[in-house]
Amino acid sequence: MSESAIITTNNVSLWYNEKRALESVSMSIPKNMVTALIGPSGCGKSTLLRCFNRLNDLIDNVKITGEITLDDKNIQEPGTDVVMLRKKVGMVFQKPNPFPKSIYENVAYGPRVHGIRDKTQLDRIVEQSLRHAAIWDEVKDRINDSALGLSGGQQQRLCIARTLAVEPEVILMDEPCSALDPIATSKIENLIDLLKKDYTVIIVTHNMQQAARVSDYTGFMYLGKLIECGKTNQIFEHPTEELTENYITGRFG
Amino acid sequence: MAEKFHAELKNLKAETLEMAHLGRFMLRTSVDALIRQDNDLAASVVARKEEIHAMEIRLEEYCYQLIAMNQPMAKDMRVIACTLKVITASLRIGRYGKVIANIVKKISDQPHIANLMSIPHMADLVIEMIDDSIEAYEKDSIEGIADFSSRDDTIDSLRQSIFREGITYMMEDPKSITRCTNYILVARYLERCADHACKIAENVQYMNTGERVEIH
Repeated sequence: MSESAIITTNNVSLWYNEKRALESVSMSIPKNMVTALIGPSGCGKSTLLRCFNRLNDLIDNVKITGEITLDDKNIQEPGTDVVMLRKKVGMVFQKPNPFPKSIYENVAYGPRVHGIRDKTQLDRIVEQSLRHAAIWDEVKDRINDSALGLSGGQQQRLCIARTLAVEPEVILMDEPCSALDPIATSKIENLIDLLKKDYTVIIVTHNMQQAARVSDYTGFMYLGKLIECGKTNQIFEHPTEELTENYITGRFG
Repeated sequence: MAEKFHAELKNLKAETLEMAHLGRFMLRTSVDALIRQDNDLAASVVARKEEIHAMEIRLEEYCYQLIAMNQPMAKDMRVIACTLKVITASLRIGRYGKVIANIVKKISDQPHIANLMSIPHMADLVIEMIDDSIEAYEKDSIEGIADFSSRDDTIDSLRQSIFREGITYMMEDPKSITRCTNYILVARYLERCADHACKIAENVQYMNTGERVEIH
């Protein structure tokens, strides 16, 4: 990849107990680009995504080998500040998971945890994050209402705003639209396109059309291996590997 | 659903092959009518004009429908892209057949000059190229089309030679002008048909490998 890489993995393997979930994955995630990870269920794409902010640390009996670097620093090193890592590498999950608090508090929560107490500064961060997540206009008049009153699509954009509030470099998205209707999905997809100006986005998706629409690079994974990774238009027009070809044309998976 | 779509793709290819064979048949028959000065045979070619046009519209719509309903990717997408080109090329080939058939009526009342010069030979070579390109599309194989570049050069040379020969006869005898002008036109149409066979070949290559090639 010609663009500069923000994250690289070198020979990363991962085991859940005895089960090997990732096998020697080496890839580069280019900066300010959208990279999609596709592949059938259980191929390891979410596992790989969760390596990028060490979410797998929360699971018992996980063993990881190989090297994962963010901005040329190995995030696997024992001294890594995981809280800071997760600030830099934010995550949006499959199901919108707003806190049972107001819209404002949802977004202000992260900056507060990181020590920002000044109300004016928090107001500014909240507005900016909500604007960035393309939801400001819809919620500005009810910013103190409960976040749980928002629609699913709005909740997901709120979760994106919450991620943006701590100024990450990378945003991980694990099936961010699978619980949303087509209109809400389209809003999130438009948002992803806007976000890449300022952030690097890595998205896991089952929906190949979505990968094709939103991403610049696509990695195809199968049985824990990264089979092929390249520019999205190349992967979807003429993939190099037969396995990729068979998967994206629906011949298996 | 992928299985249903792949069955549809097979069906699309089968129907497109039918159209390609019709285009090829119209061209072959028109040249035969020219050689034999057979007006009825020529008329039978002209009569199929509507049929091939209807096929073009129906098959193109079929392609668009498959794209809209299935959002094909990779090889599936390339099959449809190639098929759209085969449809256009087949229509053009069939139409050149019709145009040659119309010429038959104009010049069938007088004997041929110099046994139609190299037109019958040129037509055989062009038809072979069309056959090979259709077969390549059918079998998804690029074997029979690997030498298309040199075969196309031969066709270009034959057209030029017919042009020069025609000019010579016209200068010798002004009464030959109508016939020779039409021979030159037929040679030009045949050359264009070879170009369409090359276009099919280029697209089969793309369908097969995803790589773009240009056959000169």
